[in-house]
Amino acid sequence: MTDTLADLVIHYGLTLIFTATFLSCLAVPVPTSLVMLSAGAFSAGEDLNLWACAAAALAGAVLGDQAGFALGLRFAGVLDRAKGKAALSIAKARAFTERRGGPGVFLSRWLFSPLGPYVNYIAGATGMAWARFSLWSVLGEIVWVTLYVGAGFTFADQLEAVATILSNASGAAAGLVVTLGLGAWLWRHSAPRRRRPR
Amino acid sequence: MRRLAYLWRNHRIASLAFALVAALTIGFAIRSALFAFYWSDPASRDQQVQGWMTPRYVAHSWKVPPEVMQAALGEVALPDRRRTLEDIAADRGVPLAELIFVIETEIARFRAEQAVE
Repeated sequence: MTDTLADLVIHYGLTLIFTATFLSCLAVPVPTSLVMLSAGAFSAGEDLNLWACAAAALAGAVLGDQAGFALGLRFAGVLDRAKGKAALSIAKARAFTERRGGPGVFLSRWLFSPLGPYVNYIAGATGMAWARFSLWSVLGEIVWVTLYVGAGFTFADQLEAVATILSNASGAAAGLVVTLGLGAWLWRHSAPRRRRPR
Repeated sequence: MRRLAYLWRNHRIASLAFALVAALTIGFAIRSALFAFYWSDPASRDQQVQGWMTPRYVAHSWKVPPEVMQAALGEVALPDRRRTLEDIAADRGVPLAELIFVIETEIARFRAEQAVE
């Protein structure tokens, strides 16, 4: 896996890095973290330019976020047509993104990155303000790119070690968020007709 | 327990999803910990020279000056950027394993010299 990808990165360079980060922001399963790590590693040996790699990765990621947001926005109309209970949940989701969407977008860029693409779609579909989304998206992507390209650059000679540890850790972080979210939902729904404090 | 029984009756899919995601999370956490433990041993960190690597990458990762790689490749300057060892072997029509062997020998020779000095 590492060797095939590294081979692709060295031969297709910036185009590949840009495409990988772009696609991964749309939930296309591309091993982007490995691509960025290899790019960083080859920059350490001066085969590639560190800043150019980082710029290509960042451009792809930010444009990918925008594409995901736009797609979500396009299908927002479908949500508007919802009635009854569904409409209520959608209204709640909108209120939530409005209140806490910013940090959510930011953290789902790098700390819980497997969740990122879905947050893009949801942010667009629930009508999060574009400027706010974009600001947090750019900030988050800067952290993501710096983290992975930087790790590749710093630990160039231990590429495989860093790749396996980072990919498992980010899986665990994203899993934890979903587990906690589901757990909270189940907890609220676990008591039959409990009197709600008002 | 009553809560659990209630959930199982009324929100079975959500309960199953919760159990699955929780198990996945624990699995990923254990894997990260195991890998971190495994790679913390310097012995398992030693990379082998491979076809996807470039001369510059090898020089950087094995911490040898470019001259060592130049000597191994028999060139006055390092070849073009973004040429892997596989590319170079193909250009010259030599087996990759042979090229890698020469490089490893040259690195070993350099390190032995360093140790003496």
